[in-house]
Amino acid sequence: MRFRFCGDLDCPDWVLAEISTLARISSVKMKLLCVQVIKDLLDEGIDYDKVTKLTSDAKFEAGDIKASIAVLSFILSSAAKHDVDSASLSSELQQLGLPKEHTTGLCKSYEEKHSALQEKLRDSSLRLGRLEGVSWRVDYTLSSSELKEVNEPTIQLRLQAQGAESDTTETTVVSMTADKFRVLLTELKQAQAMMNALH
Amino acid sequence: MLLVLSDEHKEHLGFLTEVDTAVVGEFGRIAVEFLRKGSNPKIYEGAARKLDVPAETVQHGVEGLMYLLTESSKLMISEMDFQDSVLVLGFSQELNERLLQLYLENRKEIRQILSELSPSLPHYHNLEWRLDVQLASRALRHQVKPTVTMKLHLESGGIRNARVLQTDPATLLHLIQELERGLAELKSNHCRRILRNIK
Repeated sequence: MRFRFCGDLDCPDWVLAEISTLARISSVKMKLLCVQVIKDLLDEGIDYDKVTKLTSDAKFEAGDIKASIAVLSFILSSAAKHDVDSASLSSELQQLGLPKEHTTGLCKSYEEKHSALQEKLRDSSLRLGRLEGVSWRVDYTLSSSELKEVNEPTIQLRLQAQGAESDTTETTVVSMTADKFRVLLTELKQAQAMMNALH
Repeated sequence: MLLVLSDEHKEHLGFLTEVDTAVVGEFGRIAVEFLRKGSNPKIYEGAARKLDVPAETVQHGVEGLMYLLTESSKLMISEMDFQDSVLVLGFSQELNERLLQLYLENRKEIRQILSELSPSLPHYHNLEWRLDVQLASRALRHQVKPTVTMKLHLESGGIRNARVLQTDPATLLHLIQELERGLAELKSNHCRRILRNIK
C-alpha cells in the first residue's frame, strides 16, 4: 500500500507496530505529546519530564516512550518533507489504524506548525562550505623594496567558511589590486542579478 | 584436533602443579578477567608475595593459562581433544578437570572477545543528498545541468568522517542499477545453496 506521507512508498513495519502503541494513550494526552515532539523537531528542546507524566497513565515503559516519540517524529517530519496536506495525512493515518480522535489532534498540531517545520527542514538541507563571515580592509601602498613610489590601493578580504568535508571553520585571506577587485565585483553583481531574476 | 604446546609454554604451565587447586581456580579466574579487561601487573605481585615465589613465575603461569584458553577457544576444540592436549602437561586428574571446566564455561565469551579483534572497514552512518540545477556560470549562461550532490557519513571504530560526492542523474541511475544487481545476487541459486549450508 502506498502512502503519500511516506513519499509514495510502503509504510515501514515499525511505524505500523508503534501506531498501536500510540492508541493506548488518550487523545488529549497524545495532542500534548505531539506538541512536545514538534518542539523537539524545531530544536526548541523537549521536556522529558512532561512526556513521562503524559505517558505514565498508560503505564508506558522507557522503550514505549522512546518508540512513541520516534514514530511521531517520523510521521510529522515525513509529512512536512513530502508536503502532505492535513486532510490526506488524516485519512492515511486512519487507514493505518490510528483512532479518529488521535488523528484529528495530530493533524491539528501538524497544520499549525506546517510552515515552521518546512522552514527548519529547508535550513538543515545539505549545504557545502557555508560562508560564515566576510571582513575586508583597504590599504594604500606608498613604497616597496622594488619601487620607490608605488601609490596603489589594495584590498584584503578574509572569508570564513565551513569546510565541505570537515565541520570546522576554514579561513581564506586574499589580497588584490583595485582593478582585479573591480572585475570580481562586476562578475558577482551579474550573478546577483541572475539570482534576483529567479526569485 | 590436538593443541600442540611449545616447551616454553609447558614450562610456564608447570608452575601450576606446585600450587593447590584452589589457587589454580583463582588463577583461572584472573586469566579470564585479564582477557576481558586487560592485564594488571599489581595482581601478579600480590599473588607472588602470598605464595612466596617470584612475580615473574606467577605472570608466566597466568599468561600460560590465558594462551591455553584463547588457543582452545579460537580453534573451538572438543572436550576430548582438550583433555588429550592437557594430558601432555602431566597434571593431576583434578587439575585437568578444573581446566576443562574453565575452558567450557568461558569459551563463548572468549570467542566473542576474539571476534571483535578483526579489522573492520568504515561502515555507513548517514547519507545527505540534494538535487541542484546549474543555470549559469561565469563562462556560459543559459545552461540546464542537473547534478546530485551527496555527503556520505562513515563511521570507523568510533571515528566519524564525511565524504562529498557529486554525480549527474545518468551515472546515479547506473549506480542504483549496479547496487540492485548486487542485492539480487543474494536470491540466486548459488548464494541460496551456500547460505543454506552455513545455517
